[in-house]
Amino acid sequence: MALLEIKNLSIYFGGVKAVHNVSFSAEAGDFKGLIGPNGAGKTTVFNGVTGVVKPIAGEIYFDGVHLIGLRPDKIAHLGIARTFQNIRIYPKMKVFENVEIGLNSIPRYGILPAMLKTPGVRQKNRESYEKSLKYLEMVGMQEYKDVEAGALPYGLQRKLEIARALATEPKLLFLDEPAAGMNSGESMELVEFLKKLHQDTGLAIILIEHHLEVVMELCKDIIVLNLGQKLAEGTPKQIQNNPEVVKAYLGERRQKYA
Amino acid sequence: MGYIEGILISACINIVCVCGLLLLTGFLGLFSMGHACFLCIGAYTSAILSINFKIPYLPALAAGGILAAVSSIIIGYPTLRGKLSSDCFAIATLGFSEAIRLILSNFNHPYVGGALGISGIPHKTGLLQAVLLATASIFFVYNYTHSQHGKVALAIRDHADASELIGVNIFREKIKNLMISAFFCGVGGGMMAHYYTYIVPNTFGSVMSTNLLTAVVLGGVSSVTGPVLATVLLTGVPEFLRFLSNWRLAIYGLVLIVMMRVRPEGLMGHKEFSLIPIVQLVKRNWKKSDVLSK
Repeated sequence: MALLEIKNLSIYFGGVKAVHNVSFSAEAGDFKGLIGPNGAGKTTVFNGVTGVVKPIAGEIYFDGVHLIGLRPDKIAHLGIARTFQNIRIYPKMKVFENVEIGLNSIPRYGILPAMLKTPGVRQKNRESYEKSLKYLEMVGMQEYKDVEAGALPYGLQRKLEIARALATEPKLLFLDEPAAGMNSGESMELVEFLKKLHQDTGLAIILIEHHLEVVMELCKDIIVLNLGQKLAEGTPKQIQNNPEVVKAYLGERRQKYA
Repeated sequence: MGYIEGILISACINIVCVCGLLLLTGFLGLFSMGHACFLCIGAYTSAILSINFKIPYLPALAAGGILAAVSSIIIGYPTLRGKLSSDCFAIATLGFSEAIRLILSNFNHPYVGGALGISGIPHKTGLLQAVLLATASIFFVYNYTHSQHGKVALAIRDHADASELIGVNIFREKIKNLMISAFFCGVGGGMMAHYYTYIVPNTFGSVMSTNLLTAVVLGGVSSVTGPVLATVLLTGVPEFLRFLSNWRLAIYGLVLIVMMRVRPEGLMGHKEFSLIPIVQLVKRNWKKSDVLSK
């Protein structure tokens, strides 16, 4: 059975069919792309899987567990992590503390030991500090560990968000437009980074991205959404040559030049 | 001496309560307009245990704190569950606090005493006990806020939705902090009962809740030492301004307005008060004068 299995997922907001009858699946170690014009329902699919919005119909299985109706934190503990389109790091905390939240979303010791700051608590705090450095090293940010996260430049905030997501030890990582607001040089750097991350960790990654060169470079399999429905799925080559996809992205008349 | 001792003891009692409230308002960002009810529950419980069952001081205080913590579930469970906004929580606590006060006013059991309250409580909160309990509270709360528990609370305050997607159980963390904060306020209430030796329900009105909240906000969110300093100031300043009679309340209000205008993040903001920089400054100047004299 696939790691993530989405069957006939539908999410409506009032009368708006944000996602309608979408099905796809991902295996362990996959690197999939989810593309589509603005308002196609890409982020809504993420929100449906991670439990932020409740689907109106359909089934989502992760590792054999039915996800619909579970609380977002439960789903996170099953092994799904994500980043956000608009960065949501904790700006007032230091970089390593941000990662520590991912590590210790359920505190590792009780309330009384915490108040008394017992040797066991000190030991666990030290362990979590060292672990957080390990994840910062994975994204190449160890030198920034003591910087206030809000003071980091944009690209590093994105990487910090990825490090925090990795700290939850996921099996599947959703990346929501990691290259948003980057120029082509920066996004190529991101491509190299994500490629290496995927190789090193063997995680399944699903990527939403508007920079098509990023998606084409990284993903072996691409799912195209348009107006809430699945338009096509296939290799980058197939997607590029699919007339339906070209139409959705560029409009009818473009066909003449294509 | 007795007068100053009195101010110090009230300051210590307020510190214990503020230590509790700052966990909720400072670190979690939940405003409570009715924390006086937890003082009230703590005060009544410990007073009744002390008078009628001859329970010693500390166990009576602990019992008051525990009952306050348990009663906080009544208000926390319905309001913190689900996606109710924090405004709802503030209003609900206000209502809960008034309800507790009015129920006690009309409850004419000999143990409780209705609107006349309880008198003849043994005087057990001396300066020593007050200072020790306040110090212990600061120690416990400081450690707690600087532990993983405290960091998770800060994470919820900054980005509740993102934290939930990382795996933080928002409801459990919120109710945990609420219960701990109610516990400290319950203990503070017990100390108060054993200091004044009588309690009436009307002492625990919304003015008391507001004063606690003022100390936390004035002292600075996500700081422990800030609210503690603010509590000392807020308890002390009105006493020192007593010679101005009614004008002191106007000045008190003016000080608050100016303070929030100049430092909206509070006295200490996100920092902790520490003597280390001062010691370093003195040391540095010491060395400098040493060099100069040679």
